[in-house]
Amino acid sequence: MNKAAPNFYDVDMPIRSFITKRLIGVKSESSVQEAAEKMVEFSTGSLVVIEDEDIVGFITDGDIKKKVVAEGLKPDMPVKEIMVKELITADISSTIKDVLELMAEKKIQHVLIEEDDDIVGIVTFRDLIDIERQKLETYISRE
Amino acid sequence: MRILHISDTHIGEKDHYNKESLKIALKELEDKDLDMLIHSGDLTQDGGLKHYEKAKEIFDKISIPHIIIPGNHDKRSGGLSLFKDHFGSPNGVFESQEAVVIYVDSAVPDTDIGRVGIVKYDMIKDALAEHTNKSIKIVVLHHHIVPIPKAGRERNVLSNAGDLLELFLKGDVDLVLSGHRHYPNVHRIENTVFVNAGTTSDKKTRYGDINSYNLIHIEKEKLTVKTKRIDGSKEKKYFPRKDKRIFYDFGEKIFRVVHTSNTFISSSPKFLQTHFFNALKIINSLDCDLTIHCGGVVEEGINQNYKLAKTYMQKFSMPIIYTPAGRDINYLGYELFKEYFGKMLQSYSDEEVLFRGVSSAQYDSPEGYIGETQKEELFNDLDDQKRSFKSVFLHHNILPIPHAREKGLLEDSGDFLREIVNKKIDLVLTGTSSHPSAMKIGDTVVVNANSMSSVYQRSRYGNSFNVIDIYEKAVVVYEINSLWGNRKILGIWDRNS
Repeated sequence: MNKAAPNFYDVDMPIRSFITKRLIGVKSESSVQEAAEKMVEFSTGSLVVIEDEDIVGFITDGDIKKKVVAEGLKPDMPVKEIMVKELITADISSTIKDVLELMAEKKIQHVLIEEDDDIVGIVTFRDLIDIERQKLETYISRE
Repeated sequence: MRILHISDTHIGEKDHYNKESLKIALKELEDKDLDMLIHSGDLTQDGGLKHYEKAKEIFDKISIPHIIIPGNHDKRSGGLSLFKDHFGSPNGVFESQEAVVIYVDSAVPDTDIGRVGIVKYDMIKDALAEHTNKSIKIVVLHHHIVPIPKAGRERNVLSNAGDLLELFLKGDVDLVLSGHRHYPNVHRIENTVFVNAGTTSDKKTRYGDINSYNLIHIEKEKLTVKTKRIDGSKEKKYFPRKDKRIFYDFGEKIFRVVHTSNTFISSSPKFLQTHFFNALKIINSLDCDLTIHCGGVVEEGINQNYKLAKTYMQKFSMPIIYTPAGRDINYLGYELFKEYFGKMLQSYSDEEVLFRGVSSAQYDSPEGYIGETQKEELFNDLDDQKRSFKSVFLHHNILPIPHAREKGLLEDSGDFLREIVNKKIDLVLTGTSSHPSAMKIGDTVVVNANSMSSVYQRSRYGNSFNVIDIYEKAVVVYEINSLWGNRKILGIWDRNS
């Protein structure tokens, strides 16, 4: 590993510049299978759950694995039965450190970002690791 | 928040300075609702003491908060010291309860070009981080970031405009104010509005225009830019302040296109063969309808490279269309490109989509130029074609690219971009500067591709190509790493109605 590789972020930076500003959603009455298909199609590990244009829940690939597949349930059940209804959010002015602490405290890997009571983005643990992983990938891919 | 935005006053002698025009603009200050005045540079004509004294006399009378930054004219003949003596620091941060205004001097003494160096870039970055909770964020620079129409050859975009553009978009800057080209223009990229002022009181205007200034009103839901000319005529533009962030209804997928560039095929080690063949395998597995190669297919336009390129590119399992880069048509490449890959202008269409190639490459030169004749033909052709999704592809970029000094920017990008946006072309694909980017300007999505398989690339994500999925209701752009195949979303936008 290239020890001189620069640090691309500092944990005291506001999370604003690191968030994904596009969220993919699924309707609450859609089936778990449809949700899984959306995760595959858009290469994402989580979806916001929508009812009448509002976000009413959140679902991750881990929820599908734990609450449906491992329980032997059928994937035709509606998303609303397994979604997490209590959204865990961080304010857009939080720092990266705040968000990491929240992830550790709540034992979650996806945090929705809020600004003026609207959900405006998402940060995942993978996004933060990706920044580091990319340095390694670039290092290898440069040969 | 209400702002009076003036620029390029060129206070000086009668032969170029329209004293009356400035008076008309400053009369707006009688409006008690105005919160501040911003002057985006070229306060004086020659940066000399006499002109600075004249300017100071005028601006000393202003009682509301005001920001004045220097332009290239103000820094002529050592004018920066005089600027500081009369108007204070050329860089800084103004803060109110709801807003932050970050202003920086972008002029390089005794030249017309613009640059924001590493120190000032960090200053803007730190100020945006510190004031991240302000509901209105404004940046002021003399030089423009987005190419301006009717301004001739585009040589004055800030040299590191791509880095600044990325910083502003990521930092949710609401408004960027500039001057310099003496032609008023407004573009919205993602959620940021870029306002370029015309000249408020210089007799040197462009395109037969007259002096003008802007009145900007920022409210919770919308931002209004009113350009007022000194004859009293007005142009008003409204922009929403919030963009769509949640997407769940895409409709059917109608087309998938691979967008690649700078493969640089050759027998030299600068061509990364493993990356190329890994990418090829991924592309062939993606069930794509079309690949568009935006130039730089070979490292240099010589026969041995073309021969190899033809063999390799034949392994793509879907149709491919090309547009050349300068390096494809250097040496004998001008003949070889046609011999091996067909016409310089290529296109693809079906009942719903149209991808129309544009030739911007010049042989033996990295510079890009479309030219008036080709531009007219292109837009006439696009007008005639009845398709629900229209796209244009070319090698040179039309919006600044991060981590690249603006040498790949199309020289006539200002006019081209304006027309693309006015005509609401759905998608523009480009392939210079070897760094990916995707953003929406007006109703047009503009995507640049990184180098797929050459050592010359600028992204810390590594070599990559893009995939663009066109759905009935949305457009999704992914970047896919050439070597590993991991994928990330560069953007999702609603389709134009």
